[in-house]
Amino acid sequence: MRRPAPSTVRWLILAALLVFWELMPRTGIIPELFLPTLSKTLAALVKDWREYASELSVTLYEVAIAMLIACGGGILCGALVGGVTLLRNLLLPIFSSMYAIPIVILYPIFTAWFGIGSESKIIFAGVYGFFPVMLSTAAGIRTIDEQLLLAARTMGATVPQQITRVIIPASIPTVLTGLRLGGALTIVGVVVSEMLTSAAGIGYLVTRYRTILDSPHVFGAIIMILLLSIAFDAFARAIERRTKVWQVAGRRQKDGDPADVIARPVQAAV
Amino acid sequence: MQHLANVTPLRPELAKPAIEIAALNHIYDGRDGQVPALEDISLTVGAGKFTVIVGPSGCGKTSLLMMMAGLRHQTNGTINIQGRPIDKPDPDRVGVVFQEASLFPWLSALDNIEFPMALRNAPREERRKRATDMLNLVGLQGFGARYPHELSGGMKQRVSIARGLVQDPPVLLMDEPFAALDEQTRMTMGHELLRIWSQTAKTVVFVTHSLTEAVYLADEVIVMSARPGRIIDRIAINLPRPRTYEMMATDVFGRLRERIWQQIRKEG
Repeated sequence: MRRPAPSTVRWLILAALLVFWELMPRTGIIPELFLPTLSKTLAALVKDWREYASELSVTLYEVAIAMLIACGGGILCGALVGGVTLLRNLLLPIFSSMYAIPIVILYPIFTAWFGIGSESKIIFAGVYGFFPVMLSTAAGIRTIDEQLLLAARTMGATVPQQITRVIIPASIPTVLTGLRLGGALTIVGVVVSEMLTSAAGIGYLVTRYRTILDSPHVFGAIIMILLLSIAFDAFARAIERRTKVWQVAGRRQKDGDPADVIARPVQAAV
Repeated sequence: MQHLANVTPLRPELAKPAIEIAALNHIYDGRDGQVPALEDISLTVGAGKFTVIVGPSGCGKTSLLMMMAGLRHQTNGTINIQGRPIDKPDPDRVGVVFQEASLFPWLSALDNIEFPMALRNAPREERRKRATDMLNLVGLQGFGARYPHELSGGMKQRVSIARGLVQDPPVLLMDEPFAALDEQTRMTMGHELLRIWSQTAKTVVFVTHSLTEAVYLADEVIVMSARPGRIIDRIAINLPRPRTYEMMATDVFGRLRERIWQQIRKEG
């Protein structure tokens, strides 16, 4: 018998999970308060889709602005810290150790400063996503193969040309890895802050329905968040794949894959 | 082009020097204070000549080459290329080929060769045409669309040579270009380089660790001492051209190689 393709198996596992989700509460093995059936969850989603859509739009808006802050600020600071030796020596150790701080402890302060509206979520999530973007950009620039810059200089490349034609294309793969991690953390940041203190957003729905013990609606909101994260990840991976050509080469091997350097602390933090 | 292959590079009109190095010294700041790296280097290389520099590891031969490329500055002394001092990289006078092919991994072979022309905003058609000519010259017809990771080590170095030649500089500097290749590829590439050289009439300065490669390629071999690097011998290689693999088995070849080896061995 031929072995089925891994993607087929993955879809089967997913289908099996969904079937279990429906059956476990239905047979009473798990109380419905803890896990409502899939059909009831979907029914709740369909019945109140207007509410979910409007709260999701709030979350999407906050995520979009926070990603702009995280990515824009992260790339800019990362380029400076990675490219300028003085800044690197002064700031990189500080940024790296700040990365280990659970930034969520700062959220109460942010609400005091910026209120409980969208601003505090945007700023909190922006800061949360900023670090991986900044650190991977710095790593991307630091680990560029010096030989490429030397070669470009022998061909008469000016400093601006070295930046636009060598440094930027050579750092794109690492920066994209940082954007994927930073973007994912931004979504986490927005949802968590909405759950903590808020009057709007999909995270707020989770908290509100939980306090009134409405499990189907809680799980409905969870499904929305899952879909949001999966959609973002698929989008980011698609962009990364397009740059696969030069992902394999162009940097010093001895430093290891810079993506690993970044991924490790992120996994530790999450 | 083929007619050039049989012309000896000692033609009188090519005899005026392409490279003149006078009283060059170089001292760098090491961990334990100042370290003399190069000492009293004077060297004249005639136009169209193939010169090979050999010497023990760390003798400063790569440093010397980088100074000729305008990438590094000597402490004192002068380097003239085509009659003018060189203080920064000048692609009109000097092309450089490094040990690692140093190709941009995000560009195809053809785009890599075009890169120096793209830096000067040369018209697209001219770039394409010139780069394609160079690709053909180095024997890579049909590989222009490949990316560096899709090419073998030898092919990458061919692209790198094509890139060094694309702006037609009179001088080509090569820093151990074949050191990372396996022995067979290395021999083939040496032979190919001589073919390309005979078709383009460049002045080549070539740094290597391989004495066989040195004798096989050179009009003249420059032997350098251990640090601080000095020129301890200049050996004219009067083997006929075009060179053939069979020459390596001759007594003359063996004696030349032995003479260089004796010089370097003393420096240990």
